Amino acid sequence: MTTPSSNPNAAFAKSGRYLTFSLGAETYGLPVLNVREIIRLCPITPVPRMPDFIKGVINLRGTVIPVLDLRAKFQMPEAIYGDRACIIVVQLRNPAGGSTLIGAIVDTVEEVVQLNDPQLESAPDFGGAPETRFILGLATVSGGVKTLLDPEKVFLTEGLLSLAPPPSAEPKTTNA
Amino acid sequence: MNANHEAPMPSGIPPEACERIGRIGEELAFVMPGEDDGLLPINHFLLDLEELRGGEVPGAWTRGLKVARGWIDEILDGSGKFTETSIRRLNEWHAYMSSVADSRPEGRGLPAWPLDWAGADDVSEVAPSVVPVATSGEENELTCSLNLEEDLELLGEFHAESLELLQTIEQGVLVLESNPTDAETIHSIFRAFHTFKGGAGFLRLDAPRNLAHELETVLDLVRRSERSIDSSIIDLILAGADALGQFTRAIGAQLQGMDPGSPIVVPTSDIIRRAKAAARGETGPLPPPPRDRSGNGVSPAPTLPPAEAIAVPVHQSAPFAPEAPSSSSVSAEPPVAPVRETLAGESSGGFVKLDTAKLDSLVDLVGELVVAQSMVVENPEVRAIESSQFVRQLRQLRRITSDLQSTAMSMRMVPVRGAFQKMTRLVRDLAASGGKKVQLLLEGEETELDRNIVEKLGDPLVHMIRNSVDHGIEPPDERIARGKSAKGTIRLSAAHQRGGIVIRLSDDGRGLDPARIRTKAIERGLIRGDAGMDESELVSLIFRPGFSTAEAVTDLSGRGVGMDVVRSNIEGLSGKIEVQSVPGEGSAFTILLPLTLAIIDGMLVGVGEDRYIIPTLSIRESFRPQAGMVSTIQGRGEVVSVRGRQTPLLRLGRFLGRPTRAASLEDAIIVVVESGEAARGLVVDELLGKQEVVIKSLGQTFRHQNLLAGSAVLGDGSVGLILDVDTLVKTPTFQHAAATADASNA
Repeated sequence: MTTPSSNPNAAFAKSGRYLTFSLGAETYGLPVLNVREIIRLCPITPVPRMPDFIKGVINLRGTVIPVLDLRAKFQMPEAIYGDRACIIVVQLRNPAGGSTLIGAIVDTVEEVVQLNDPQLESAPDFGGAPETRFILGLATVSGGVKTLLDPEKVFLTEGLLSLAPPPSAEPKTTNA
Repeated sequence: MNANHEAPMPSGIPPEACERIGRIGEELAFVMPGEDDGLLPINHFLLDLEELRGGEVPGAWTRGLKVARGWIDEILDGSGKFTETSIRRLNEWHAYMSSVADSRPEGRGLPAWPLDWAGADDVSEVAPSVVPVATSGEENELTCSLNLEEDLELLGEFHAESLELLQTIEQGVLVLESNPTDAETIHSIFRAFHTFKGGAGFLRLDAPRNLAHELETVLDLVRRSERSIDSSIIDLILAGADALGQFTRAIGAQLQGMDPGSPIVVPTSDIIRRAKAAARGETGPLPPPPRDRSGNGVSPAPTLPPAEAIAVPVHQSAPFAPEAPSSSSVSAEPPVAPVRETLAGESSGGFVKLDTAKLDSLVDLVGELVVAQSMVVENPEVRAIESSQFVRQLRQLRRITSDLQSTAMSMRMVPVRGAFQKMTRLVRDLAASGGKKVQLLLEGEETELDRNIVEKLGDPLVHMIRNSVDHGIEPPDERIARGKSAKGTIRLSAAHQRGGIVIRLSDDGRGLDPARIRTKAIERGLIRGDAGMDESELVSLIFRPGFSTAEAVTDLSGRGVGMDVVRSNIEGLSGKIEVQSVPGEGSAFTILLPLTLAIIDGMLVGVGEDRYIIPTLSIRESFRPQAGMVSTIQGRGEVVSVRGRQTPLLRLGRFLGRPTRAASLEDAIIVVVESGEAARGLVVDELLGKQEVVIKSLGQTFRHQNLLAGSAVLGDGSVGLILDVDTLVKTPTFQHAAATADASNA
């Protein structure tokens, strides 16, 4: 049952170019091929009754696209996004054909780096605590570790899709 | 060939084939001597059958298809109408084929081949023996004239379709040249000729029909691998396509008003002769020596790739007129020249076939342009510019964008005519099978509507018309007894109204019987026995799921779809349907539809900091509640009293889990929305105005939620969410209203 990789599910990280960005003190990377564009943080229309990692939707030149909060997705503490915050627009191929655009808010976009095999290793097994199913692998670059994300798994997972339970228990209302 | 009892092949006849046989049977039930109704559908199903070549099939099956093909072609060739004999034979055939299909699984012997069916045993004989065009090759060229008055619509369709078919053929030939055995391509060319033949036959355009028939026969042999593709066949196909192209273009020219009614002559006898020779398996009289195509642009055939790139060396067919060998045809030829001249001028007008996705994206972009334009105009810095010239220029920009928008929108619009005219046939068939006399009057067929809506309108209309004929219109004797004319009338009309479109279907039949509906509704548990309802409310019960008044299930109605399906179809198109009925005098259905699905009229409402769009069509009214209008039930459910009726309230902010601003209900606005029978009062903070919005899909990510019907880009460039009224109206409210008793009494 043991495979060379400690995380048998992970699509293995391939050498290639990655766009790196930061969330808090951590650095992540996405395959450049999946990055359509990077835009400045703009007003986001919240979508009610969605899981909290769905920030809402934005108008990307006439196309309405959802925006994810990766911090919330990775269950990291919430933070105020500063001036350097960006939305990375990721393009994903649909299994059924066509493609989907999804935005992700990040603290800062760093750079595009070429990562080669010797720098890459598969995601370590934390025994479940930090979830590794989104992770393609790790890359060690000039002393730092970058977590390479699997765009399909991060952005197209089951979790996004269903309506949250009605917020009936919600205590507050300003008009009561 | 050995005729009768070969061993049945295992699982040769695919289930689709049995289904087609069944469909032919259904069509046959309605054909009448001297009429052509049903001819084309039967022809199509037969074609499907000929194409369903799963495994090996019993020889009787193949022969059966062949003989039917002969009959149908004979009808298409000749009068175009069914006769007593042809109907009888087709019915026998249907029974025979059904039993062939049935006999297979048990491995029983096949039914005996009916003796009086012309022997279709010999493949090579079929075409010449059954089809009477066999001799036309030696005769003068056929001319054909168009009946522009009667067939205008059909000719237009035929013209457009034929251009496509010819293109298919030409592209196919290009493929065959490099890959002569490509079955898919051979098939598509065969099918193109066949479809052409069907259309031409229906319009009684004998010459192109005969030509297409001959070419189809050749292709059929190729298809069955009884003949292989060589250069002479490719030549033949191209020559045939060229000739058909000339016919088609001439039709197109006449449709555009050039020389209307003049006979169209295109020499075909030589091609037909060659096709026959090819079908007989002769290499055929070799086509005339290769000649350069005189570049007069008549031929629709695309320029072929250089000869060395082609596996089968081919010379292109030369133009026909010069090479037509039959001297007797010369007399008939002069009209060819004018036809060609008109061709040169055909570039004006005409149609472009367009991928709807491209059209949608154009409409989207134009919508964005309009928004961007208004953002520029509204920009405070721009507004500060004081220059009359600049203001004029801005106005100019606005006018152009709005013209552009309406042009882009109009590109999606098609007349409802197509959908309406299909109903004529339906009414005739239904009336005939139900022993009733019914006329269908159409009005406002030219009214234009979004293509997507027209397409989806078909099913509900069919169902309503079935209901009307089956249950609404009385049999003639009953009508006379009631002092009505024996013939019932159904009116189907379309008209613009209030920025939308109204489709009305009315009949002068017996109407809906409120008492019977009531009984039925109680029976089905839809209403309580003591429910106080007026007649119009009772009549509206027919839209409830699980309600059907059909006492006798006829063969056409009563297929398990009720008016509730009709209503949900209409609501799926953001429309509404209502019914009025006067017992004994008839009933009328009114369908209110938006002009397009791409744009809706929306009411922008504010909830806290959020803005949402509610489709105006589902808003019944909106108002600021007065103290005492809202009461609480069991301390949980809030209802508002609107004109004596209690409508449940849904506090939108709380339901959506978003903060609100209004301090009390009296500061809020209630928007009463409805969907189907149900209505609900949505509590929002404010109304921000009505506007037309271009609907944007929310995409894959949000496909599993039903709270939002879509989104739209608002004037300031931000995104507004369009609420799905159906969900809001149907969602249970009780749990959300807890602990608000105090608020409602404030």
